[in-house]
Amino acid sequence: MYGRKACQLVKEFASGEKDQLTPFNNDLFDQVISECSQHHHELQSLIRKMQEEGLDVQTARNADHYGALIHLFSIVRNKRCLTAYVYNRTETIRNLLWKIGPVIPKEIEEKLNHWEEEYFKKHSAALRDYMSKALVDLTVDMVPPKDPYIQVRVLEDIREGIVLSDNKNPNFARHSMHFLKRTDAEKYISRGLMEELAG
Amino acid sequence: MANYYDIDDILVEEEIVSVKFLKEASGVGIDPSSEADFIEVDSKVELPFWLAHELQLRQAVSVYVPPCFNQKTRLEIQADCASVDLRSRCPYFYEFGCKIAPIVGDRTIGVLLLSAFRNRYKEILTKAHTAAIAAGSKFWTILTNEEINLYETAQSAMASFKKWRMGGPRFQIASILGRKRKPAE
Repeated sequence: MYGRKACQLVKEFASGEKDQLTPFNNDLFDQVISECSQHHHELQSLIRKMQEEGLDVQTARNADHYGALIHLFSIVRNKRCLTAYVYNRTETIRNLLWKIGPVIPKEIEEKLNHWEEEYFKKHSAALRDYMSKALVDLTVDMVPPKDPYIQVRVLEDIREGIVLSDNKNPNFARHSMHFLKRTDAEKYISRGLMEELAG
Repeated sequence: MANYYDIDDILVEEEIVSVKFLKEASGVGIDPSSEADFIEVDSKVELPFWLAHELQLRQAVSVYVPPCFNQKTRLEIQADCASVDLRSRCPYFYEFGCKIAPIVGDRTIGVLLLSAFRNRYKEILTKAHTAAIAAGSKFWTILTNEEINLYETAQSAMASFKKWRMGGPRFQIASILGRKRKPAE
């Protein structure tokens, strides 16, 4: 049946858990595109046939006309499925940036298409650019804290890339507890490297 | 086309309907019963909704009422609405109903949808707010997608309310990372 493969692609996206990405299905994606070219090919041959019979393609309503229509709708449908697949994945990727910052964890990076990685990089560069001009960090928690400091416990050893606002360089060994500025701790918590200790 | 990119809307339109062709069409392989790539007038074919709808707009086909809105289902819904298994009939029962009603020109479908939803809504909310139903429970399996969303929203509202009352950590691991298994020591 026409449009079946495109629908499979959309279903695959829908069956994944909410906010989770499945690996980009290059194989099926390309199959749908080649299905589109196949439809295009048949559409053209039907129209050519009508022209050879000396009919006006705009107004004639014969069997070839309806055949061509069916191919046309199949292309339009496939296009909708393909763009929806890409669009919805992109939305998830954009949310990723807001939630876990400009570094993609390895297990998610594997699931992205080459273009999606590119998009992520450019989008995060644009955001960084904007924030440095506006002089405000937009990725922090929206609710004003009661206390600017929180207690956290480190869940995994963090050795590299520790940047704190007070320029200190603490030892984030696993299971150690720290009293940090909320804005510093936030990104580590959302990446699953620390947890907040409820006071 | 407000929901052009909407995943659910796309899946609703993939539902199969049977149609009768009023015109002939050549060069298409959508009728499995015919050997040539040609559809005769009056042949009955099963098409996905998106195709049937477009063809119906051009008076090329006439659409039959799909089996999930037949007399038997109606009687069951009238008898005991809350325990009818709508999911196996059509996972997008309400959305599909809204789309199909103007096309088949059946005015009773709207009334059917409304009464079914109204009666089931109460049941779903009560269960979502009170019972902690396990994932394998039978109750889940009869709900349509719309109803499952409703159920989950009601449960998360309840969870948020409890969290607000008891207090708890504000920051959590981003949901996209999922639950990670702890690495072995």
